[in-house]
Amino acid sequence: MVRIAAALLVLWSLPAGALADCKVHHGDHVVLYSTTDDPSVLLWDSRARLREYYGASFDEAHAMLPHAILVAPGTHATVTSCTPNYVDSPILEHPADALGVVITSGSNRGLMRWVLGSDVRREPRQ
Amino acid sequence: MTAFLAVTLLFVMQGTLETRSQVASTFEQLSQVQQAQLDLEELLRLQIDEENSLRGYSLTRDPFYVAQYRQAMSGYDDKEAAIAAILQGQHLAGPAEMLGTYERIQAAWRNQVAAPWLARPGELLALDKANKLFSDYETRTGFAMRQALAGTDAALVRSTQTQIDNASYARAFWVLAFGFLAILLNIYRSRLNRQLEQERTITDILQQAFRSESIPLPHCEVGSAYLSATTHLAVGGDIFDVYRLSDTRALVLIADISGKGVDAAVLTAFIRFMIRAIAVRHSEPAAILAEFNVAFSKAVGNPYLFVSMFVGVLDTVTRRLEYSSAGHDCAYLRRRDGVHQLSVTGPVLGVMEEPYYSKMVQLDPGDTLVLTTDGLTEVRNRAGKPLLGRGAIELIARAGPHAQQLVDELVAKVRARGGKRIRDDLAILAIRVLDGESRG
Repeated sequence: MVRIAAALLVLWSLPAGALADCKVHHGDHVVLYSTTDDPSVLLWDSRARLREYYGASFDEAHAMLPHAILVAPGTHATVTSCTPNYVDSPILEHPADALGVVITSGSNRGLMRWVLGSDVRREPRQ
Repeated sequence: MTAFLAVTLLFVMQGTLETRSQVASTFEQLSQVQQAQLDLEELLRLQIDEENSLRGYSLTRDPFYVAQYRQAMSGYDDKEAAIAAILQGQHLAGPAEMLGTYERIQAAWRNQVAAPWLARPGELLALDKANKLFSDYETRTGFAMRQALAGTDAALVRSTQTQIDNASYARAFWVLAFGFLAILLNIYRSRLNRQLEQERTITDILQQAFRSESIPLPHCEVGSAYLSATTHLAVGGDIFDVYRLSDTRALVLIADISGKGVDAAVLTAFIRFMIRAIAVRHSEPAAILAEFNVAFSKAVGNPYLFVSMFVGVLDTVTRRLEYSSAGHDCAYLRRRDGVHQLSVTGPVLGVMEEPYYSKMVQLDPGDTLVLTTDGLTEVRNRAGKPLLGRGAIELIARAGPHAQQLVDELVAKVRARGGKRIRDDLAILAIRVLDGESRG
């Protein structure tokens, strides 16, 4: 009984968006690859900054760049968290998920950053 | 009604032409916007070409890629100018502003990314955050421009469809209205035609009844003609009649009633049959006229209506003509020695009660009695000069020998002198006494 109540409490305390379905989930292994004309991927030091980037003017975005790292397409990572439909912008056809990832390859291996859901591909299961 | 239909037709035509002009204008706009969309895709491709050329140069250091870069850059500038011209021409402020933004980003990319990279190709661009930022923003701006132009394109298509729809509805309405009015007009015209047909039938019957006619006489040739001043009716205010009183005697009549047209024509029937009725009882022309004068004044009761009349009784065996003329001076006798005017023996009828006198003329074989109305003597030439009695006598003298031939020639002369329009009714009656051989 206590367990059921605790589970309900946890569910209630989650953000409403969290109940929506994410395309990838905690523990999934992904490959980074951007959908823009430049396939390299920007990763941000916070989820909020990730969202701001897609709503900012060019100059504002330029000022935000020190908070981002750029990784080559094909970089591997592991998903640590997902906030569904977190990033919404007129330039996006649909709201995108915000993913927390840990980079698992390349010079930035071990870093944890935030990336746009449409900039990752799920790795085929081994 | 006809004027309204004509105005309706003109309105429909004007509306159709206006719609065509509007649709053509919208199609032109649509064509320009679609061209801008195609040019935009080409512009985005050239932008990628610029970046890829630099990447190729960075990897290979081959100057070929630098040439490719400059070629793409030149093509990009031309295409950007072409799109700007279209957007400005079509007054598309939103897409034009986006294009300006795109152009500024591209110029900044060339200065801040491309130029340093060309100078130091060894420093890989691939992981340059600034380049990524430019790339992202060009992608975003390109996407926004695509959306804006697609929206304009869709709006123009909708506008064209609306114009065509509105024009179709309007045209359908006017065609319906026009067709309805045409049907009404047709019904109205059909009724008018039926009425006209009935009137024409009545007129034909009246003409049959009122038409002057001559009948053949023994030992004589008879010719006659009638010209009405009323163009659509073959009757008028003149009358002639040849009526056989017995095997040898015939009533010869010509008269001119003041007035013309249908009213005068109705009176001619009355006169003709009344004279015939009187002539059956009185063989002397003066007595016929006297009795008619009294009866006419009482019957008509119009002091302004009068009649000039020549009445003769011709014995076709003895060739004696007894006549009386009530103010009718258009009676002639053509003999071997010339044409003689038969004298008037009393005043016109319907004015006052006066005694009438008869005269006797002995005709010879070949003599022709020519009776006309004043339509002959009054016919005017182009200068307005009437023919008068002397002119009529000259024409009769020169005319052919046979009765109908004489009449036809007189009619031809009247037509030639008076032109197309006959101002007064004209009746001509000619009776030629045949000689012994002709009489058989």
